[in-house]
Order: sequence, then structure tokens, then C-alpha cells
Amino acid sequence: MFLEIQIPATIEEGIVIAFTGYAIVFLALLLLFYLFSGLSKFLSWQIRQNLIKTGRFPKHIKKEDDLHISGETAAAIAMAIYLCRDLHDDESNVLTIKKISKVYSPWSSKIYGINRWRKS
Amino acid sequence: MKPQYKKALTVAAAIVVLFIVHTLLHQTNSFAAPVSAAGITSAENSGLNFGAEVLNGIQKFISFTGFRNASSGNLIMIAVGLLFIFLAIRFDYEPLLLVPIGTGIIIGNIPFFQDGGINLQLGIYQQGSVLNYLYYGVVKGIYPPLIFLGIGAMTDFSSLISSPRLILLGAAAQVGIFLTFLGALYLGFNMPEAGAIGIIGGADGPTAIFLSSKLANGSIVHGLQTKNLIGPIAIAAYSYMALVPVIQPPVMRLLTNKKERTIRMKPARAVSKREKIIFPIVALILTTFISPGALPLLGMLFFGNLLKESGVTKRLADTARTSLIDIVTILLGLTVGASTQADVFLTSQSILIFVLGALSFVVATAGGVIFAKVMNLFSSSDNKINPLIGAAGVSAVPDSARVVQTEGLRYDSTNHLLMHAMAPNVAGVIGSAVAAGIMMSFLM
Repeated sequence: MFLEIQIPATIEEGIVIAFTGYAIVFLALLLLFYLFSGLSKFLSWQIRQNLIKTGRFPKHIKKEDDLHISGETAAAIAMAIYLCRDLHDDESNVLTIKKISKVYSPWSSKIYGINRWRKS
Repeated sequence: MKPQYKKALTVAAAIVVLFIVHTLLHQTNSFAAPVSAAGITSAENSGLNFGAEVLNGIQKFISFTGFRNASSGNLIMIAVGLLFIFLAIRFDYEPLLLVPIGTGIIIGNIPFFQDGGINLQLGIYQQGSVLNYLYYGVVKGIYPPLIFLGIGAMTDFSSLISSPRLILLGAAAQVGIFLTFLGALYLGFNMPEAGAIGIIGGADGPTAIFLSSKLANGSIVHGLQTKNLIGPIAIAAYSYMALVPVIQPPVMRLLTNKKERTIRMKPARAVSKREKIIFPIVALILTTFISPGALPLLGMLFFGNLLKESGVTKRLADTARTSLIDIVTILLGLTVGASTQADVFLTSQSILIFVLGALSFVVATAGGVIFAKVMNLFSSSDNKINPLIGAAGVSAVPDSARVVQTEGLRYDSTNHLLMHAMAPNVAGVIGSAVAAGIMMSFLM
């Protein structure tokens, strides 16, 4: 025999721990996956029911359609609303001049920062 | 300043220095008493003159200096510390971690007098020293949960909530932990030590410190005497986290072809505020019920996230994600660095741990990429996953997601994968913490 590999006795127990542990990690995250897939569907269903109840469900959308919009679409809509409402194309043309008065404080007074009596 | 003042100041400084030297020599006499008491006694008995006494004092002073006590190990570790600082400043490799750790390595390896059982209360392993007190946060596993609180308060789980299937990539990449565990067992480490070493494959520094402080802290665990491996494990985990941009890309390129690397994924949907609030609560309950050992880590992670998403605790979330995590990072980095005192750190086991750590990162990356390709076999043609994001399943947040983004842009300059990669990346954080909890429950 060219190479003799000695496998420690603990390795058998280790394999059991590794397989079980990996399976449990997978199980935990698989449960999260199912839960949040279901949650998103449930919330979508709830929104649909509210819209139907209040008669605001758009007729052109089929009932089985996905109501979710992509982040990109949401960003485009938000940008459009911003451009439509918040961009200041029209100004009021009213100028307001406010007088700003400062409270005098010797701590910030420049005159005290100058050494007037310096003798060389 | 006038020249005469300068002269006066120099004379005064010289007097002060002489006074300090005198005082030091006097003190070193008392410190060194047990070591060379015979010498002093004989000098006193023989009534040697003042000059001989001064010479004796200087000799003792020299015996206390770093130059006298330095070993080659100290010098090697100081060089390593300097390398860390260089990498952080010159190449911007995780500077927030490598600068404190690098400085800590230098601090921990400044040689000092340790013979004769004298405790000068200087070193990190000496009872009562300031560094020893700060190190308690590492040994008792206090810092990692606080880091997780900050991570939770700065993490946006939106990408994960919008594409829950990407959670599975975070689970797949944890294969690195369990294969490294088996590798460590094969190399002769005992069961708890192997568990602590395995967690390096999770690519999560705080989790690695947390688990090693429980399983490989030098005490008896699981009926077995363990060695103190906190230092090597923490340094390996953080070093490889900083080196993610070097380790991961070759593995990603090896396991994917050009067509797969340019797959465009569907943009993530917008996530409602309600979903963002429900996520940390449900995930906390679910994951900690499955793996209670991960409670300190996951409890703090999801608590931090709830502070952020609730919208009513902005001040607390801001503190957790800025000041608190910064303070803990400073203390953690410095003490972990200082724990690499050469006589404790420079062993053959540390080298083995570093080799296993590098392999674990490779295996974890490969695990994520391969699983993404497997998922593609079951996905519809318009809903494919870019397998590169599987590499982000290792929980080095956000480094591995950034690596995925860079690799994606290399093959298609308009294909931005960052947000898609963040989903497996944060799932990896949860996965590695769950794995740490499972290891604890099996091995403690």
C-alpha cells in the first residue's frame, strides 16, 4: 500500500453531526422561505380584497394577476410624481428679506484675538 | 521662544528624565527581587560602591526592556501586524477591522518581562491587566451579540423578503462550515475544537468568535480538554473576510461559464413596511425555536433590525448602527489582535487552522454557486438566477455581495447584481448563526 490514511475514531460521529447540522440549517431557512413566500401572497390577497370591497379594484386587472410592482417601476412612478409636483418651475415671485441679527459675544469677537499690545 | 527659555526647558527636561530613570531603576529593583535576589544580597553584603549598584540597576532595567525579552515569534507577529495595517491602508482591505486587529497584534507582541511568575499586569493573558479586562468581552462572548445588534440595525432585508427563494443560497453556502468541521476532525482536533474551527467557513467574524469562546476556550467542553483557539480562529476568520475579493472570484469563474455570468435577474419587487416589520419578529421566533443556541446572536440581530424598521425608535437604531457598533468593533479588533501573543499563537495548530480556513471559504463559495446552478434547473427561463450570486451565500456582509457585483459588471457592464446578491448575503448571516447554535447544542 502506497499511502496509509488513518481516520480518527471521532470522524464517524462527526459525519453524523455534519449531516444533521447541515440539514437543520437548511430546514430553518427553508421554513423562512416558505413562510415569506406565503406571507407575500397573503398580504397581496388582503390588498386585493380591500380594493374589491371598496370598489377600487381596476377592471383591466384580472383577479389572478400579480399585484406586486418591481422596485424599478416604483422608483419610476415616484420620480414622475416628484417631477410633476415638487419641481419648482413656477416661482411665487415674492422676495422676502429677513434681517438676521447676531447676539454680541466677546468670545467670538475678532478684536480680542489680536494682540494689540505686543512688544517686540 | 527665546533661546534662553529653550535652554532652561532642556535642562528641566534632563532633570525630569534623570529623576524618572532613577525612580524606574528603584522600582525595577523591587520587581526583580525574586529573580536576582542573590545578586543584590551579595552586592549589599560585600558593600560594593555606588557605581556597582548603578550598573546592577541598569542591567536590571535592560532585562525589563522589550529588546531583552523579544523572541523571534514576537518579531514575526509584529511584522504580521504591520502587514495587516499596510493591507488596510494601501489596498483598503477591510480597514475598519484590519487597522484595529493589526495594531492589536503589535500591542499583544510587545515583549515584556514574564519570568519567575511575576505578574506585571501588562499582557492580555495576565490577570488584572487592562487588556485582560477588555478581553473578557471576547472570552465571555459579549462583543459578538453587540456587533450583531449593529448589523441588524443597518441591514435592509428587503431584497431577501422580495425574493425568498434566494434564502436557500445562504443555507447552501453553509456547507463550508460542516466540511471544515470534518476536515478539522480528520487533522486530529477534538470534537469541540473542530466545531469552533468549522465556523470559519461561515465567513462571519463575530459568529466565529462567539462559537470559539464557547467551544475552544481552554476549558473542559463536552468532557474533553480544549485548547484556547479563540485568537487563531478569529484572526483566520477576519483575515479571510478581508481577502474575500481575492479568494472568491477564481472559484466563481471556475464554476460558471460566460453565459451564466451574464444572466439578468428579474428586478426585485417593492416591499411594504408591514412586511419589513413582520420579518424580524417572525424570523427571530422561527430560527431561535429551531436553534436556541443562536439566541444571543439572532436575538440581537433581529432586535436591531426591528429598531430600524419599526420607524419609531430611530434614535436607538442610529446608536446601534453607528456609535455602539463602532465602539465594540474597536474593542473587539484590538483585543482579538492582542490575543495573538506569539507564545500562545505561533503554534502548528494555528497554521492548520489557517489552511482549513482558506479551504472553508473556497468550499462555501463553491457550495453557493453550485446550488444556484441547481436551482436554475428548476426555474423557468424568465426567472433564472445568476449563479454568481450564490457566492454571496457566505455571510461576509457586504463584501461578498460587492465581489458579486464587480464580477457581474466585468462580463456585462449594465448588469447590476448587488441588490440580488444582498439576499443570499444576509441569509448567510442567519444561516451561519443557526449553524453556530446547532454546533453548540451538539458539542457542549
